[in-house]
Amino acid sequence: MFVEQTLDNCIKCNICVTECPVAAVTDKFPGPKYEGPQAARFRQPNQPLTDWSVDYCSGCRVCNMVCPTGVRIAEINARARAEMVRKGAFGWRTRLRNNLLARSELLGKVGHPIAPLANALLQNPLGRLAAEMTLGIARHAPLPTFSRERFTAWYRAHQPANAPKGKVVYFHGCSTEYYEPRVGRAAVRVLEANGFDVIIPPQHCCGLPLLSNGEFDAARNYHRRNVNSLVEYARQGIPIVGTSTSCTLTLKEEAPELLDAFDEESRLVAERTFDLSEFLLNLHTRGELNTEFRSIDLRAVYHPPCQYRAHRVGRPSLELLRLIPGLDIVESHAACCGIAGTYGFKAEKYEIAMQVGQPLFDLVRATGGPIAICDSETCRWQITHGSGVPSVHPMELLALAYGYEPEGVLQQQTL
Amino acid sequence: MRMNTYPDVIVIGAGLSGLTAAWQLAARGHRVRLITKGWGATHWHSGCIDVLGYFPIGNTPPVSLPRETLATLIANMPEHPYALVGIERLEAALDAFATLCHDAGYPLHGSLDSQWLLPSAVGAFRPTCLAPETMMAGDLSRHDREPMLIVGFERLNDFYPELIAANLIKQGHLARGTLVETPTLRRQKAINTLVLARLFEQATFRAEFIAAVKPKLGKAERVGIPAVLGFDNALAIKAELEKAFDRPIFEIPTVPPSVPGMRLHRILTRAIERAGGDIRTGMQVVAADTKGDRVTTIWTEAAARRVPHHADTFVLATGGILGGGITTTYTGEVREVVFGLPVNAPTDRMAWLYRDVLDERGHPIFRAGIRVNSSFRPLDGETPRYTNVHVIGTTLDGCEPLRERSFEGIAIATGFAVQDALPTTNHSTSA
Ligand code: SF4
Ligand code: SF4
Ligand code: SF4
Repeated sequence: MFVEQTLDNCIKCNICVTECPVAAVTDKFPGPKYEGPQAARFRQPNQPLTDWSVDYCSGCRVCNMVCPTGVRIAEINARARAEMVRKGAFGWRTRLRNNLLARSELLGKVGHPIAPLANALLQNPLGRLAAEMTLGIARHAPLPTFSRERFTAWYRAHQPANAPKGKVVYFHGCSTEYYEPRVGRAAVRVLEANGFDVIIPPQHCCGLPLLSNGEFDAARNYHRRNVNSLVEYARQGIPIVGTSTSCTLTLKEEAPELLDAFDEESRLVAERTFDLSEFLLNLHTRGELNTEFRSIDLRAVYHPPCQYRAHRVGRPSLELLRLIPGLDIVESHAACCGIAGTYGFKAEKYEIAMQVGQPLFDLVRATGGPIAICDSETCRWQITHGSGVPSVHPMELLALAYGYEPEGVLQQQTL
Repeated sequence: MRMNTYPDVIVIGAGLSGLTAAWQLAARGHRVRLITKGWGATHWHSGCIDVLGYFPIGNTPPVSLPRETLATLIANMPEHPYALVGIERLEAALDAFATLCHDAGYPLHGSLDSQWLLPSAVGAFRPTCLAPETMMAGDLSRHDREPMLIVGFERLNDFYPELIAANLIKQGHLARGTLVETPTLRRQKAINTLVLARLFEQATFRAEFIAAVKPKLGKAERVGIPAVLGFDNALAIKAELEKAFDRPIFEIPTVPPSVPGMRLHRILTRAIERAGGDIRTGMQVVAADTKGDRVTTIWTEAAARRVPHHADTFVLATGGILGGGITTTYTGEVREVVFGLPVNAPTDRMAWLYRDVLDERGHPIFRAGIRVNSSFRPLDGETPRYTNVHVIGTTLDGCEPLRERSFEGIAIATGFAVQDALPTTNHSTSA
């Protein structure tokens, strides 16, 4: 069913309102039912825009997951925001800011070659204050640092292992490429430990940050280029896996659905795309996963990002982590960490994002492990920012359990 | 090595019956996966456990001694879910449920030997069997003369204290209604039950509320307010207000979202997870694979694909016509949505509804349900359609939960009793 059609299913039960983490902390946002199915009735082609509040929807999709009648509330809200962008409801300053935050690929390309300088600027309190005052980028929000080496540079120099199980395409996403190449290295190692040959075709940002900022035209462009680059592999039946749950969700569903990209090629790519944990757990179901894990004696919170829940495949990372001996995982039931992609980076939304994440930060601190675990990059940064505890991707632990050398914060642990 | 965490039972639907079944089965060592499209009936209902309010239906005085009337019902209606469960198991189910709530710090009170009569949000009385402690002081069955003050909030829709008081007076009770406003509420853009429940969890707001109500207490000897006394500490909040007012206070259920319903929902979902159950929301079942008289796999809709779920046993708790477990088509078909089980409903579309919306007899289509045998296996004629499917809750035939006021009783009783129909398990439990 198409996004807008689902609004007719709404029975006004308010269940979505009971769970929306944003409405729970601010009354700038009255809640999913009002912004989604209800306000959508007034968003007709020749009508004036409804009010601003829909821009306070973080896009976390918690509402979709609890609605008993299948209303695609988050998507209705995303489209409403895009309509506001199209009709010029946002001033140039806001759009510049949103575009800066949403163009992670462009940012990476510009910032990476001058990494030390860019990092110094991005972490400098005065610079951050200026960025907040001129652009509205929250000065305390957890901006990442550029890594020294790009992920694909490492990959090109990397010696692939013997690969009896065939090929897998890895979609690494911008964050792995520019900020956290260690996540990509872990993914490649885990796949190789399972006998796969990892291919990395040219790729672009998945476009999700643009979609959630209502910049649909730019997002369409990125999505199209990715489909072009991936569709040949999909045709050959080669699985496309990713470590960023938002990238894979975008390829699977968000881009086709929000952009009405219902062409054959987009569909083929969507059907062959998997989150890496989902892919590995499927292997395990068939008894094909390499389970020769060494033990990791550690207690840590795992937070399933909302982007992952929206895949509607359960909690594959949690099930995989529980296969590692010694690892004691505390599952987070927190609705959201608050950051919601680019949401928590915006000055007017920073406080809301921090309040939304508070229960999760409290859980992480109370658990007291040396690390927290989460599949999504911005969530990891937010969890660390809010709780002071460093965060890693599940693949980093899997790679460690397969006997690879620890990297990053895991290096500092005696495990 | 294959994973050993696959479920042996899948429960479909997260209304009161599905949650009860998942909780009980998980607590008894089954590996349970609860699959649901979203949350449901728990967020709508009053938070009381109605077992049997009216029998026979249409007879005006409410049931006053449920145990006796249940015996009559069971003798006269052998296909009624209560007849399948029996009074003993019904009572065991209610006990287990009350114990769970008690242990969660939210006691329910009552038994099959008496009936509460509690005021509703329009001031009518509702017969119910188990009531949360936060509602008890509202009981109207005592025919006492304790005057009530009904307090509402400015801008809270669908809760009008004057209306409630006027209706209570008509029934011979002494009552007065009043609306309050506080500085915090004045700053709040929208007021609804959720906003209020979250505010009542804050000491500063409670102080404002106390200050606003105290001067209005007058001769009132008990105080009724909408059911918004927080989610997790309702009892402590109630005690604090009672101390300040020096009078008993009681909650009155509201229109959805119902805070007392959500409290039960939280207690149940936590119990399921503590016992090792796996709850998955946002998952709609779109197909099922069968082999002979067994269901082997169900498929749920996911991003860009369908996902399979295998299990030995499936418990169907998707609700009836109102809950979405049974639907009708324009061509006059009445369908059970997951397995396409035979539904007992009028085959003639014209016989679904009576002409008058409020017809006293109740519309036949609302009685549509799945006929089952004594182990809740769905029947096709007189033989089970599938041997490893069990149907519970208001999906069942032979009852009219809304008019009988038996909704929660049937849900909890069948959600509890279904375990007896399952093979016993020797999995270790983490409960
Ligand atoms: S997507 Fe998240 S923030 Fe937006 S309405 Fe839904 S629950 Fe609320
Ligand atoms: S949960 Fe779904 S049906 Fe209920 S009010 Fe929200 S959108 Fe409407
Ligand atoms: S930031 Fe993380 S936890 Fe928060 S909305 Fe996104 S995926 Fe969810």
